[in-house]
Amino acid sequence: MTQLHFEDVAEGDEVTPLTVTPDATQLFFFSAATYNGHRIHYDRTWAVDVEGYPDVLVHGPLQSALLARAVTDWIGGRGRLVSFSAQNRAVAHPGQELTFGGRVTGVRLADGRGLVDLELAGRRGEDVLMPGTATVELPLRGEA
Amino acid sequence: MSTSSTQTPDLIPPEALEQVGTVVATRTGAVDQREWQRWAVAVGDHNPLWFDADHARAHGYDDVIAPPLYVQYAVLGVTRLDELRPDGSSGASSGNLAFPAAPKRMAGGESTTFHAPCYHRDEITMERRVESIVQKQGRSGAFVLVTWRTTYTNQRAELVAEATTSMIARP
Repeated sequence: MTQLHFEDVAEGDEVTPLTVTPDATQLFFFSAATYNGHRIHYDRTWAVDVEGYPDVLVHGPLQSALLARAVTDWIGGRGRLVSFSAQNRAVAHPGQELTFGGRVTGVRLADGRGLVDLELAGRRGEDVLMPGTATVELPLRGEA
Repeated sequence: MSTSSTQTPDLIPPEALEQVGTVVATRTGAVDQREWQRWAVAVGDHNPLWFDADHARAHGYDDVIAPPLYVQYAVLGVTRLDELRPDGSSGASSGNLAFPAAPKRMAGGESTTFHAPCYHRDEITMERRVESIVQKQGRSGAFVLVTWRTTYTNQRAELVAEATTSMIARP
């Protein structure tokens, strides 16, 4: 895996997209790993009959973790996530293909650090389910 | 977006409003490698910084580090099953804010700034304040938007992360 450097990146560049289709197993493990007992993620009867959804829901925090994963995969081991923001705009259900990615909206040097601003989105087809932003720090060429 | 009008019922009880500005949760927990790795595989996030100490050391860290977004889970406590809400959720980390007229809860959004990495066995202290509770009118009706401001500090009193999170409650 080659390391992305600050000098490699320009406004408009794409964050390599990540495509995931969450299934019931992944939802179960995410609920377990986050100690989340909320029934809308595993109890279909509750989700449908009580809350009026067509199926159980993919966790908002799982979607945001997938969005952050697209970023940390893209920036490589020497990149650093400085800030990350995501908003739940619409629900997703297991079995739906979701794509997480974004693009560079700005690059700046601040106190010798190479900072890159990103506009992010978790999508299902054309629908944006989770808009977000992030700032990452990338190593400069010539740094150790 | 408008606040509550005459047509819409008031979804925010006064007891909830009284919590605005107050610290509603303080909690300390240990960062544990096995737990963050369980979280990472649930996300399908196999980044070697979270799993491979040699890789992490070759990239400037002292050891494997926790995924940045994991820090919020390091401080989770436990809830007796007979104290869960009917929907199975636990109010433990949000100050048990109750909105009887708006019982359907959904995570709103999160915005976090990361200042330092977390290592295995770090002790993280979370302090969470209610920043605001407002009623809004959306396309599908009135809802409550709750915003919390949270800081995470480690055992060396270093600020590890600061987060703003929100929750939506609907009738």
